Amino acid sequence: MTLLDILNPNIIDLEVEGTTKDEVLHHMANDLYNEGYISDVEQFVKDIYEREAEGPTGMGSQISIPHGKSQAVKKIGIAIGRTLHPIRWESSMTDDGFQDTRLIFLFCVSADNEFARNHMLLLSELAGKLGNDARVAKLAEAETKEEIVRLILCDDSELEGVKPLQEEEIVDLDIDL
Amino acid sequence: MKILAVTACTAGIAHTYLVAEKLQKAAEELGHEIKVETQGSAGIENEITEADVAQADVVIYAHDIAIRGASRFAGKKVVDVPISLAMKQPKSLLATIEKKLAAKK
Repeated sequence: MTLLDILNPNIIDLEVEGTTKDEVLHHMANDLYNEGYISDVEQFVKDIYEREAEGPTGMGSQISIPHGKSQAVKKIGIAIGRTLHPIRWESSMTDDGFQDTRLIFLFCVSADNEFARNHMLLLSELAGKLGNDARVAKLAEAETKEEIVRLILCDDSELEGVKPLQEEEIVDLDIDL
Repeated sequence: MKILAVTACTAGIAHTYLVAEKLQKAAEELGHEIKVETQGSAGIENEITEADVAQADVVIYAHDIAIRGASRFAGKKVVDVPISLAMKQPKSLLATIEKKLAAKK
């Protein structure tokens, strides 16, 4: 089993409607419901918000990664949505704590820790891939499902030379050592 | 520097793994060796061994829940930061550690 097995084109939506976080989360949760991933849209969204309350899921570069564990999940997966409008989203990357989001990776994970561990490992592999700023820069521009899937699957070596959207300025941090 | 890091976030689904990769990339770019152990929903991955600990210059905890097995690092220099800091400024984190370690010598 590989990453491709959890990347289902039917839950990739390039025209997510709505102008608020709530609208787009419901829109994407509906896609998950229609494809048999969750049993209850409201419960799932509520569980996503529970995790949202613990800390921002905006990761910069107009990308957000909402996730949470839910009893409503029947099948582990990841919904990917490109929104038609910029969505104001809590961010760990900005000084004011908010960003405009255009691309959403909505992790659909069971509350049962032992559930489908092999799928969990694949999701963690996918999360790791989003730690590569070059990949993120390309994903932020991707306009087709095929391109999004290709960028997630591709090897890091194919992304060499791609400039990150935001280059980190190296500064002295106030840390104890 | 030879760096060890452990990442652990609340849900253990996304940031644990994303930040592990960010630290990995930052270390490669700045010319350091690094091994990152993830403690998340998928269990402990890329586990840090005794031999790793013996050789390490510094250990980073990037977390917002308790680190499992912290006693392994007794006697080592440990930098303890919220996972959000490693998410936002991975390179600054490593550069600052390098500076501080050099100042201690």
